[in-house]
Amino acid sequence: MTQESAARRFVVAAIALAAAAAALVGLTLLAGASPIDALHALAEGSVGSRAALGETLARATALVLTAIAASLAFRAGVLNIGLEGQFLAGAVAAAAVGPLLSGAPFVARAGLLVASALAGALWVLPAAYLEARRGVPEVLSTILLNLIAAAAVSGLVRGALQDPRGDYPQSRALPDAVRLAPLVSGSRATAAIVAAIALALLVTLVVEATPLGLKLRATGLAPAAARAIGLPGARLRLLAFSASGALAGLAGGLEVLAVTGRLYDPFSAGAGYTGIAAALLGGSHPLAAAASAMLFAALGAGSSAMQRDTGVPGALATIVPGVLVLTVLAARARLTQKRA
Amino acid sequence: MLPSLELRGISKRFGETQALSEVSLSILPGEIHALLGENGAGKSTLVSIAAGRLAADAGEILRNGSPVSFDRARDARDAGLALVPQHDLLIGAASVADNLAFLDPNAPFFESPAARRARVIRLAQRFALDLGDANARVDALPVGTRQRIEIAGALTGHPEVLILDEPTAVLSPDETAALFASLRKRADAGGAVVLITHRLAEVFAGADRLTLLARGRSVKTCRVSETTPEEIGGLLLAGAEGETREKEKDFDTHPSKHAARSAANQPLPSLELTGFAPHLASAVRTENVSLSLSPGELLVLLAIDGNGADTIARAIAGLERFSGRVEVGGVSLPPSGDPLAFRAAGGAFVPADRREEGLVASLSLEENLALPDPPGRVFLDRSAMRAHAGDLLASFGVRAASSTALAGSLSGGNQQKVVLARELSRSPRVLVAVHPTRGLDLASAAAVRRRILDVCRSGAAALVITADLDEAPLFGAPLRVVTRGRLSAPLQPTTPVETLGRLMAGLAA
Repeated sequence: MTQESAARRFVVAAIALAAAAAALVGLTLLAGASPIDALHALAEGSVGSRAALGETLARATALVLTAIAASLAFRAGVLNIGLEGQFLAGAVAAAAVGPLLSGAPFVARAGLLVASALAGALWVLPAAYLEARRGVPEVLSTILLNLIAAAAVSGLVRGALQDPRGDYPQSRALPDAVRLAPLVSGSRATAAIVAAIALALLVTLVVEATPLGLKLRATGLAPAAARAIGLPGARLRLLAFSASGALAGLAGGLEVLAVTGRLYDPFSAGAGYTGIAAALLGGSHPLAAAASAMLFAALGAGSSAMQRDTGVPGALATIVPGVLVLTVLAARARLTQKRA
Repeated sequence: MLPSLELRGISKRFGETQALSEVSLSILPGEIHALLGENGAGKSTLVSIAAGRLAADAGEILRNGSPVSFDRARDARDAGLALVPQHDLLIGAASVADNLAFLDPNAPFFESPAARRARVIRLAQRFALDLGDANARVDALPVGTRQRIEIAGALTGHPEVLILDEPTAVLSPDETAALFASLRKRADAGGAVVLITHRLAEVFAGADRLTLLARGRSVKTCRVSETTPEEIGGLLLAGAEGETREKEKDFDTHPSKHAARSAANQPLPSLELTGFAPHLASAVRTENVSLSLSPGELLVLLAIDGNGADTIARAIAGLERFSGRVEVGGVSLPPSGDPLAFRAAGGAFVPADRREEGLVASLSLEENLALPDPPGRVFLDRSAMRAHAGDLLASFGVRAASSTALAGSLSGGNQQKVVLARELSRSPRVLVAVHPTRGLDLASAAAVRRRILDVCRSGAAALVITADLDEAPLFGAPLRVVTRGRLSAPLQPTTPVETLGRLMAGLAA
C-alpha cells in the first residue's frame, strides 16, 4: 500500500506480465493445445470483434469500480476486504428499489444508483464501528460481512425479493425503460463503463492532487506520525472506508442496471475479490488498478472463447490473475528489500 | 598489522543523493575508532555497508586482509562483525528476554523462559546496562532502554569488530562510562570498535583514532593524540557558524527572566498542569505533576530515558491518556488524549521517535512540511508547498537533494531538522520538544537551541526534554530532573553538572 515511483511500478508490471504470459503458455501446453491458437482465441474473444469488446467492457464495469474502491481504501490504510459484500449490498438495494421506481428513466436510474451507493456505504459501518470502538481488525470483520451478504442475497431472492411470477430464486426484473441500453447494438456494453472510467479519474485526482488526498495518504502510510502531527486519523479512515463501500455498492447497482436487470443467487462471480487483485496489481493507484481491472475483464471474456475453440479450460482466466498478483507482490517485496 | 576491517573506495547513491563517494576506512585490531561528521555526512550509511545491511554501489570490504562480500546482515555477523544501529531493530511485540535470545547467535533452539530471563540479568550485570524488566514487551519501552538492549544483544555474540552508531546519545553518564570501560576491555583483548558519536569529549577521552567524514567523503584520519578537540571541532563546524558548546545567551536576557518581567501583562499561563499524571500501564508511574509556564517561559526536564519524562510530554501532546488537568492557553485538554485538541489550542510537539511519529517517510519533504493542513482549495497548491518547503529547508540547513526527496531518504539528523522546521514554523503557543537536538551535529544542535529560544522570545512557552547532561544548561533556563517519574525542585542552569548527574542517576544531590 505504499507509494511507488513510476519507474518501479513499470518494472514490477513488466515482470508480472512476463510471468503471466509464461503461465498462460505453460498451462496451454499442459492442456495439449497450441499456445498460439489459445492466445489467438483469447484475443479474439476479448477484443477481436465488436461483440467481444462489448463483453469485455460489460464485465469491466463492476471490476473497475471495485478496483478503485479497493485502491482508495488501501491508500488510506484501510484493508477493506469486504468489497464483495458491499457490492452485493448495492445490488440488493438496486433490486429492491428498482421495480418500485416510476417516472422518467433518468430519475429512476439516479435514485437506484444513490440507493446502491448508500447500501454499500452502510454495509461498511459494522466493520468501521468494530474497528474504531472495539479494535477488531477490519480484515476479519469485512470477510465475515461478505459471508453474511452472500447468505442474505440467497435468502432474499427466495423470500422478500422473489419474483412473484415464477419459482426461480431471482428478483423481479427492472422495467426495460429503466435498464441501460447498449452503447451499440449487438454488444452488452453500456454507458456504465464510461461512468466507471470517469469515476476512476475522479478518485485518482482526489487521492493524488487534493489536500484531502494528501491527508488520506499520510494516514495510510504512517498512522502514528499522522496522529502525532494532528491529522484526524479515525475520521479520515472512516471517510475512505465508507467511500470505498459506496463505490463497491455502486458497482453492484450498475451490475443490476446495466448487465443483469435483476438479482439472483449466486449473484457475484467474485467482483469484490477481483477488484482487490486489480488494486494489488496496480499498486493501489486508482488508474493503474482500473487498467488492471480492464485486463482481468478481457481475460474473463476471452477465456470462454478460448475454451470453446481450443478446449483449454476457462479456469485459466482465474489462474492468470492469481499468478499476476503473486508475482507483483513478490517482485515488489524483492525490490523494496534491495533498496533498503 | 593487518586491519580487522578495511573499506576501500566505497560509494553509495540514494536516488538523487550521493551519500558516499569513494570513502576508505581501515580499522585496526585493538583500537577504538571514532567516526565523526555532521548530519548527513554518510556515517550511518558507511557502517550499514560495513555490516552487510546495505549494498555499496562500488568499493570493496576486506576482513583481516581478504575481500569479503555480505549478501545479508547474517553473513557479516558470521564474519565477526556486529552493528548496533542508530534506530534499534528489535521485535516490538516480543519481550526483552525473547529479543535478547534472538540476538544471541549461540542461543539454543529450545530454551526455557527462565533461561531467557537469566540471560537478561547476566548481560545487564556483565555490561552494566539497565535492560529493564525481562518480561516487558519491547514496544512499551522507551528508546533508551531499547538502545541498551540492542547494545547488549550485539555484545553477546563476542564480535571481533563492534560498530556502534551513536550509542551514547540515549545513555546516562554512568552507563556511558561503563560502556567505554567495556569497549576498552574488548580493544585491549584485540577486538576492534567503531564508534559514531557527536560528542567530542567522548572521542578524546575514549578513542584511539578518528576519521572525519564530510559530505560523503573522508576528510581526515589521525590518532586522537595527534589532534585537539578544537581542531576537530573546527573541521566539523567548517562552513557552519563558528559556535562551540557555549552558552548561547547571557543569563540577564534568558527567557524565563524575560517572562517574569512581562508576566504582569499576561496573567494567563500558556501551559498549566494540575495534579497531572499520564496513564501508561507498562511504563514508570509518574507522580502527580503540577507546573505552570507563562508565555515566553522555558523549562528543561532532564532525564535518562525510561524515567517518565517522555511520557509526560506525550500525554501533554494528547498521545497518552492522563489524569488531572492540562491547560494550553486556558483551554482544558480531554484526558482521553486528543492530539487534535492539543494542536488546536496552539500546541506543537517534537516526538522522541522521529521516524515513527515525526515524519511520513514515504511522502516527500514538501508534502510532510505541508501537513496537517495542506494548502489549496480544491487541488493541492504545489507551488505554495514547494516555496514553503524551500524556505524551511534552507533556514534549518536541511541537507536534501530537493524538496521532492522522500523524507525517509534523509539521514537521521536531517529528518530531525525537518520535524523541528515543521513544528517551529507554526508559531506555537506551547512547544513540547522531546530530545530536540538528539542526533544533531554541534552546529545544528546550537542552531536548534537558538530557534527554541527564539520562539520563546516571541511569546511561546516551551517544555524541552533532554537526556543530555551537557546540553541541559545551554538553554539558560530553569531545569528539573526527572527520576523514576518524580520531578525535582526547579534548579538553576548554573547548577554544577556533577550535581545534575547525581540527581539523574537517582542519588541525592
